[in-house]
Amino acid sequence: MDIFNGLMLGLSTATTLSNFTYCFFGVFLGTAVGVLPGLGPIATISMLLPFTFGLPVDTALIMLAGIFYGSQYGGSTTAILMNLPGEASSVVTTLDGHEMAKQGKAGRALAAAAIGSFFAGTVGTLFIAVAAPVLAGLALTFGPAEYFSLIVLGLVTSMVLTSGSLLTAFGMALLGMIFGMVGTDINSGFSRYTFGSANLLDGLDFVVIATGVFGLGDVLANLQNEHARAASVAPVSRLYPTREDWRRMTAPILRGTGIGVALGILPGAGVLLASFSAYAMEKKISRRPEEFGKGAIEGVAAPEAANNAAAQTCFIPMLTLGLPGTATMALMIGALVVQGVQPGPEMLTQQPALFWGLVVSMWIGNLLLLLLNLPLVGMWAKLIAVPYRYLFPLICVFTAIGVYSINNNVFDVYLMALFGLLGFFFRKVGAEPAPLILALILGPMAEEYLRRTLLISHGDATVFFTSPVSLGILAITVLLLMSILSPHFRKVREEGLQEAD
Amino acid sequence: MKATQDVALGVFFAAIGIVAGAIALTYPFGTPSRMGPGFFPVIISVLMTVTGMAVLLRAYRAGSPAIEPITWRSVVIIPLMITAFGLTIDRLGLPLAVLLLVVGTAAASVKFELSWKAAAGAAIFSAICALLFVKVLGLPIPLAGSWLPFSG
Repeated sequence: MDIFNGLMLGLSTATTLSNFTYCFFGVFLGTAVGVLPGLGPIATISMLLPFTFGLPVDTALIMLAGIFYGSQYGGSTTAILMNLPGEASSVVTTLDGHEMAKQGKAGRALAAAAIGSFFAGTVGTLFIAVAAPVLAGLALTFGPAEYFSLIVLGLVTSMVLTSGSLLTAFGMALLGMIFGMVGTDINSGFSRYTFGSANLLDGLDFVVIATGVFGLGDVLANLQNEHARAASVAPVSRLYPTREDWRRMTAPILRGTGIGVALGILPGAGVLLASFSAYAMEKKISRRPEEFGKGAIEGVAAPEAANNAAAQTCFIPMLTLGLPGTATMALMIGALVVQGVQPGPEMLTQQPALFWGLVVSMWIGNLLLLLLNLPLVGMWAKLIAVPYRYLFPLICVFTAIGVYSINNNVFDVYLMALFGLLGFFFRKVGAEPAPLILALILGPMAEEYLRRTLLISHGDATVFFTSPVSLGILAITVLLLMSILSPHFRKVREEGLQEAD
Repeated sequence: MKATQDVALGVFFAAIGIVAGAIALTYPFGTPSRMGPGFFPVIISVLMTVTGMAVLLRAYRAGSPAIEPITWRSVVIIPLMITAFGLTIDRLGLPLAVLLLVVGTAAASVKFELSWKAAAGAAIFSAICALLFVKVLGLPIPLAGSWLPFSG
């Protein structure tokens, strides 16, 4: 099927009245929950998952995409209005975005973010439509050795781009792999780490762990210093960018989109890298670098465009290889598996309506975001101002019901409470949980591909270096690790990531 | 050594690594060309233990930030109330279990105070949840559980 027919098929899937309505609800709910302070995209998506359970697969998937974009944009709104980045990739947005808000230009900053995101989202979607089929075809030629190397690359990238020390991130990734082993070993039927409990035979449910560590863990951490949380919300004024704004932000949006599209494909944490690089580049080539950090609209538009373009193209490794690029993507895979869809190269050929429907609804999600957010921005600002003491009991309820409804099993609720405590512990000791979440999905895949590789090669591990694709991927991994040990990059990484917590 | 961030994390990593490794050693190990169920866990557990030791070594040589004092109230109450929610959802039904969870977790805040307004708000919220999740979304959760006299 060529791209045009594919897009047409997608359009007919995504624009049925019910699918369109659910996409709208997804965007709406995603933004509404995403703007709440202290709720990053992971917590938002996992809280909203039960809303998709009763739906047909294509509708559920489309609504999920809507929730995903809504939560991303909601994060930018909190970043600009409150100086609270919901996740690491919106840290850069706070630099100039909140500065603009303080100068009374909050509306224009939000508009710049929305317009930049929409443009980048459109380009990103087109890029997926063109590149994903090609990559999926390529992926079918990959053997287990290539997959294993890709997984190693993904894990290393996520460690390198995590704030805090590399050693801690490495430990968190290993811990995620150990948690991933719980349950029945698919090859031998042997149960591992189940301690005789039938509830653990199917393994630890990924969504339960993510909700516990991120959703509940955040609540516990936020309640530690309630008195210090009196963050103020900047008032929203004039929404529409001036002619001067348009002139200043057009080129940065274009450049940010380019950077985002390219970096988003990297497994690991391409989204984060994209927004940081776009900001750094604008600052470097600007004629007025001294304005950056003091409310330059370029410093909002470029990273937001990059952020969104990368958020779009990071669907590519997920859809074509079945490998999540970020912790949020890992959660999306978890959600798809709950729906009975296994993302991977076969998805495009076996469920084309699903694949193209998703691609088109991504674009529709972006369009709805633009239409929904600019007029409703006053309402979002009010939502942000809800005091936390009213908010957190509701978060507890939604996470508890959400987790329960995955398998209708109360065991998952207890498990979430336990992992909430663990998430709190990680925050207390300064360990970022993102690599753990990614490794929870990638760990079992790594074991499976390692096993297959060694089975085919009769136990000869040199096969990872004799396959050119695998060798190339491992070379990139080593370069990445070497670069982090070089003093120059280390300094940049520390400066860039230290505020990400 | 003081109980700093790295000390706690290092001990945690190493303990998990040692326990997971000890358990994994009882699983069939296999050979590289035919990996048994214990093969990968043993490798990862050894790496985990070594990483834990390395974090401890780093704490010993370079020091690390102290763990901030913990306000235990919320850390104890919230997981406890969520566990209580799990125990009651089938027995009391969704609305009452939600009401219990909302009021119980709200008590974890230092700013918590009993008021009619808040109680009414919690009751209305529970009713909305019941409508939304059970009636609109159709999740198979009972509205009235087995502990209530009028349940079916």
